[in-house]
Amino acid sequence: MKRTIPAAIAMAAAATLVLTACGSGGGGTGETSGTGPSTSASAEPTFDTPITLTMAAWSLASTPEFQALADGFHTKYPNLTIKLVEYDAANYDTQLTADLAAGTAPDIFVHKSLKTFPTYQSAGMALDVSDVAASLDPATANVDKYTVDGKTWAVPYRQDAWLLFYNKDLFDKAKVTYPDGSWTWDDYVTAAESLQKGLKAAGSDAYAAYQHVWPTSDWGLAAGQTPGADILSGDFQFLKPYYERSLKLQSEGAQIDFGTATTNSLTYQAQFGTQKAAMMNIGSWYIAALATQQAKGDADTFNWGVAPVPQYDTSTTKLDKVPVSFADPTGLSINAKVDKDKVDAAKAFLTFAAGEDGAKAVAGIGITPALINDAVSDVFFSAKGVPTDDLSKFAWSTRDVHVENPVDTRTAAIVNILSDMHSAIMSGSSSVDDAISQAQDRAKSEANAG
Amino acid sequence: MATAAIASAGRAASPSSPPARRGRSTKRRPGSRLKARNTLVGWTFVLPNFIGFAVLTLVPVLILFYVSFTTWNVFGTAKWIGIANYTRMLADRSYHVALLNTVYYAAVHIPLTLACSLALALLLNRRLRGMAFFRTVAFFPYITSIVAIAVVWNMLFSPQYGPINQFLHAIGVQNAPGWTTSATWSMPAVIIVGTWREMGYYMLLFLAGLQTVPAELHEAARMDGANAWQRFRNVTMPCLRPTTFFVTVMLTIGSFKVFDLILVMTNGGPGQSTLVLSQYIYQKGFGENQFGYASAVAVSLFLICILVTIYQFLVNKRRDR
Repeated sequence: MKRTIPAAIAMAAAATLVLTACGSGGGGTGETSGTGPSTSASAEPTFDTPITLTMAAWSLASTPEFQALADGFHTKYPNLTIKLVEYDAANYDTQLTADLAAGTAPDIFVHKSLKTFPTYQSAGMALDVSDVAASLDPATANVDKYTVDGKTWAVPYRQDAWLLFYNKDLFDKAKVTYPDGSWTWDDYVTAAESLQKGLKAAGSDAYAAYQHVWPTSDWGLAAGQTPGADILSGDFQFLKPYYERSLKLQSEGAQIDFGTATTNSLTYQAQFGTQKAAMMNIGSWYIAALATQQAKGDADTFNWGVAPVPQYDTSTTKLDKVPVSFADPTGLSINAKVDKDKVDAAKAFLTFAAGEDGAKAVAGIGITPALINDAVSDVFFSAKGVPTDDLSKFAWSTRDVHVENPVDTRTAAIVNILSDMHSAIMSGSSSVDDAISQAQDRAKSEANAG
Repeated sequence: MATAAIASAGRAASPSSPPARRGRSTKRRPGSRLKARNTLVGWTFVLPNFIGFAVLTLVPVLILFYVSFTTWNVFGTAKWIGIANYTRMLADRSYHVALLNTVYYAAVHIPLTLACSLALALLLNRRLRGMAFFRTVAFFPYITSIVAIAVVWNMLFSPQYGPINQFLHAIGVQNAPGWTTSATWSMPAVIIVGTWREMGYYMLLFLAGLQTVPAELHEAARMDGANAWQRFRNVTMPCLRPTTFFVTVMLTIGSFKVFDLILVMTNGGPGQSTLVLSQYIYQKGFGENQFGYASAVAVSLFLICILVTIYQFLVNKRRDR
């Protein structure tokens, strides 16, 4: 007993210390191995003293792009090192928000989607990087989306676009001609119906198409492609034709129904990768993923290619036009609380990542960069297993990518409303008209849309 | 030992106990050193838990009340807006939907789980070979990962290929329900899974309660010619009342706060058919960074839980008389 009393007191004291330490704020994350001054930010600055910058990232093992950028940057500037701080992929924004609010976030952080960008920007969490943005190649996609009140607060290094993936073997089996870049959505539906008949006749149990359960599979494409469409307007009538087509294909049995896909947690990788569907619209990130899965044996071996997603009308079809697609860019911001003597180094990293060097670094591991030119395209298509036919190259490198989430503080609420509408329509719980009109009412009353 | 130390600490700290010291010149009262030491020991045991509670629960709850009167997106300072969040709540259709769905879930889930867990406890309260195995089986869902449960049950509920609907078709049911893919049937589906998951835990509490029912009472009732139902109604149930009360209170709070099961099983859908208050709080707070409004909804949920619990305590007290 005599010994246990002091021991218990010591334990209690230790617990108290730990808890109070948790409660107190502060504690920087910056691990600077040298704070030597850098030269002024010219086009190609030099750095004489070693500087280590920290950068927020997620799932490092399965998302190698961050390490590729860090390594490429370190090779270019041997004195500058990027140390990655890993966050949980599913809770990235929640955890980053907590760290930014507490003033303990890394020097550089990634905008996983545009949806959360306005929150960080309006809260003054990002440093003005207009000078970096001005120095970028004008062909870099969607830089302007990070511009608020004439200043740019982040630069994109990655920009996917939704594409039409198709299984050439299944098309051959069904005796249907491949997509040629001229398809509108009506052509897509016609092709799906022919495929369904052809596949059935050939004794295949594959579906003509697979539409993943994500709400953006419908409204993202519709909002990106329909001229004048804007989800912030609160007018969602433009979604109607997109939903009617999806429901038609579903009811005709040309694509697996939404209920089966959600209840069985179907993955698009398994559906297309194991030849359960002849075509599928999904983001360009799947090109390298499918090539890798085929090489590893995780996906069947079959011939495939990518084409532009079916278009709203014929004004953007054919190979001499620029097809319209959608997806959010992935951007980089500098933490507004970064040490002053690290700012130049951080800006050099942003310039590198969003420039051609960074584009080549990520294209080399199958990521679609924000800047695509011939040199970058060559790097991307040199990877093993990636389809190299002309249409695939055209589809990947020629694009007018509209963003999924308009930069606005109301976007998150409207996207939630559209997600509810999507599940109501696709599950057949509600008619298209009713679901749209209910979503419009909610957007007006809950998100001040319009 | 801990209980003894805390009890003695309580005695030492009580106002009736004499002050430990009156001044340096005064002689120590016999035993005061021991009392002081015991007090210290008591506090030592209580402190870690109390600090944890204060830092992780009490302070956040107090802040929650404050934040509910502000508009705050986590960054910067919260701006005081008075009762605007509460007036917004009154007009918010989605809040009403979430509230109704929560009440729907609670109203069906509480009696259903209560009945199932009690029935299970009565069934497994016998001395038979392998009873421990069956009790474990009944308890197993409670300790299984909620994500695994959601995935498996979603597959079972699959409208076209799921075993449940295939069984229903086999026994001649036309138009089998769409379960989690139907706005009408998604809530019953979630309630079934919620009940299946939790009844093992409450069964355990009822089993513990059943051990306190004196065998003599049953014997006496049997002698008086009472049948099984009469013995259950007039002997078992009255003896189980403290347990039933405890289970009902815990079940009520748990049902109003239901979150994880719905999030992973239906994510509130299809449409808003299974949207519940906890999920709405999460959506508004962490999804849309409207922490002020989310806090106001959280306060409303807190008040609902408190009011229902107080009502249950009052009813219980009245029955005690």
